[in-house]
Amino acid sequence: MQRLHARYPFLEGARDAVATQAVDLVTVVEQERPVVERARERVVAALEEGDVGEPSRDPRTELLSYPVARVLVSLADQRVLVRTYARAEAATAYERFVADFEDTTELKSVETSGVTLEELLSEFDLERAVRETETGYQVGVGAYLPLAGDLWESEWRLVNRALERGEVPVDEDELLTLVREAVRERVEEGLPFDVPEPIAEALTDDVEEIQEVLAELDLTREIDTVVPDLFPPCMTALLDAIQKGEHLPHHSRFAITAFLASIGMSTDEIVELYRVNSTFGEEMTRYQTDHIRGESSPTEYSPPSCATMVSYGDCVNKDDLCERIPHPMAYYERRLDETDDDELEDWRETVESEEA
Amino acid sequence: MEERTRAYLRGRFRDHYRRTEITPPPDANEREWGFIPWTQSPGTTMVRHRSLLELGDIGDFLERKRPRHVYFSAGRYTDPGAGSMAAKEWRCSDLIFDLDADHLPGVTLGEDSYAEMLATCKGALFRLLDFLEDDFAFTDLEIVFSGGRGYHVHVRDEAVLHLEREHRREIVDYVRGIGLEYDDLVAHEPVAGLGRKTPTHRRTLETSGGWGKRTHDHFMAFVDDLLELDDEEALARLQEFDGIGEGKATAVLTAARDNREGLEAGNVTVHTAVSQLAERFSMLAVERDNAPIDEPVTTDTNRLIRLPGSLHGGSALEVCRLERDELDAFDPLVDAVPETFRGHEIAVDVSRDGLVEVGGEALELEAGVQTLPEYVAVFLLARGWAEKEKEQ
Repeated sequence: MQRLHARYPFLEGARDAVATQAVDLVTVVEQERPVVERARERVVAALEEGDVGEPSRDPRTELLSYPVARVLVSLADQRVLVRTYARAEAATAYERFVADFEDTTELKSVETSGVTLEELLSEFDLERAVRETETGYQVGVGAYLPLAGDLWESEWRLVNRALERGEVPVDEDELLTLVREAVRERVEEGLPFDVPEPIAEALTDDVEEIQEVLAELDLTREIDTVVPDLFPPCMTALLDAIQKGEHLPHHSRFAITAFLASIGMSTDEIVELYRVNSTFGEEMTRYQTDHIRGESSPTEYSPPSCATMVSYGDCVNKDDLCERIPHPMAYYERRLDETDDDELEDWRETVESEEA
Repeated sequence: MEERTRAYLRGRFRDHYRRTEITPPPDANEREWGFIPWTQSPGTTMVRHRSLLELGDIGDFLERKRPRHVYFSAGRYTDPGAGSMAAKEWRCSDLIFDLDADHLPGVTLGEDSYAEMLATCKGALFRLLDFLEDDFAFTDLEIVFSGGRGYHVHVRDEAVLHLEREHRREIVDYVRGIGLEYDDLVAHEPVAGLGRKTPTHRRTLETSGGWGKRTHDHFMAFVDDLLELDDEEALARLQEFDGIGEGKATAVLTAARDNREGLEAGNVTVHTAVSQLAERFSMLAVERDNAPIDEPVTTDTNRLIRLPGSLHGGSALEVCRLERDELDAFDPLVDAVPETFRGHEIAVDVSRDGLVEVGGEALELEAGVQTLPEYVAVFLLARGWAEKEKEQ
């Protein structure tokens, strides 16, 4: 069981296992460096790689590193870290359970470290809401909505789903994505929490290191400068396409709109920038922009990373700088930093002066 | 409103509550209650954050307090009487839908009569119920005439009680057709083409449910209409769509004639013109089928909503629970007139000429002091269209 719990530390059973081992967290963080180091690695990998890194070979260390990682995330106390960390834990869990489901060769024994889909569904109280059909699965709408709530692609929105008799049909891949979301929600639940002083003290250096990584990635930095000449090539290409009136797929429109919102543009300004072309769909843009900015939804969406842009085929005209950055936002920040403040001409000011 | 009018309405509201049995909503003691008393000041002051523990039995309370308006919360709380939302501790909420003539397209305020507005609203209610009963298959529905300009639907199915604000917004968007993307209604399926280097895709419009099915239904109805026409008429009809010229019109008509089964199965690969036209029908489907509910009411998990069985202080009509099968025949301006106000006549001073349609007949009113059936009179008094006169 310990291997299973080390592999899936967010399970209720894993939490119980940690509790019944009667481990005192203060003792662990003070005396078991391998656990703390693996915990820190979970968090750093979450920030840098989007997963939680290589598991420790010792199941006990691996299992205990999860609650300690949650302590670290709580101590760093940044909203963006909580979200990124939860996503990374979910991404890793997803990889592992997909592998488990595919692995039908191994004879399941009592000491198995794998899970079945049924077990996971039951873990998240979904066994009654999810029903297998000939062509896929049906998910009860009451369960579907919270699970799909954080998935921004338009295909997940209820309005674009073949809802019938209170059920949403999904294919197998989609169901696994929903289970991943259930994991993410489970991990995020209760974070950040108050950490008792002795534990916090023992982890000061580790928290500091995490904060350095955070600062380096600049996920929290506020940009409020709009200089289209300095945009990364992918965003320049998408903006050109919109201004020419080409019909962009949803993910592309999302990418450019989220990018523009992230560099400080208001909905009105984005609409204005797109308006060069008359058929850009103002209402859709407004709706989408408000959604991305978190005004019509609780979630603020950040623009996709380079990896996501590549997988959607939106990564074009790569230049030297692209090779060195993981994210379009990083590209733009770098270009802003390299340019003298005097030379930066904000697009919004040029528009205003034209109108004056 | 003059003091004499206010006093009269308060008195008659009490008479009404004396003879009426109120059925409270389920878990009434876990809900917040609020009411608006009859006050002199022009502004309305809502008394809220009350629990049933403080109000006592709801029937007694109404008789004693005879408020102008009375509400209970969609939300259920651990401590419903607490003064702040956080202290109440939210547990779950009914899912509420509000159709109000004020927000309906197809209603011209100031031009349409009250009866016309309510009729438009009822049309929208039937469209809303299509979504709630078919697409969502909700079973615990309560349909209510609001006593004012519209209808409420309270959904209490277990599966949705715990949904939070943003998830309820998805339901609003679904019912209103907001954010619909034609491309997402179409499934792409690679088809290995014989002798082709690259496989082509078969694109199939989702016909099993959702807006895909609605789009397809409208599209097929149009196709079947086309098939009734002769070539010239059919082609002309098709070319009424923007972006459909003679070539595309011919292609669609040919597809309709030669491959109706293909279209019936949702295959929109038949010709690009077919897909283009189907996309138009996705927009038309939204225009025709969407139910223009008032979004903030549905997304607000703490919303206060009018108590069925109570009187609406702005119309003196009863907030009525309606059975599904009596909806067709329900005429709010007749059936929501409280029995209490029938069979009497009273003297009022009407402030302006106009048509009033309450109680089943249309009355052409002239300004001035007159004696009217009480149900007409209280309607005018509540709406601020008349003041109470001393009886002779």
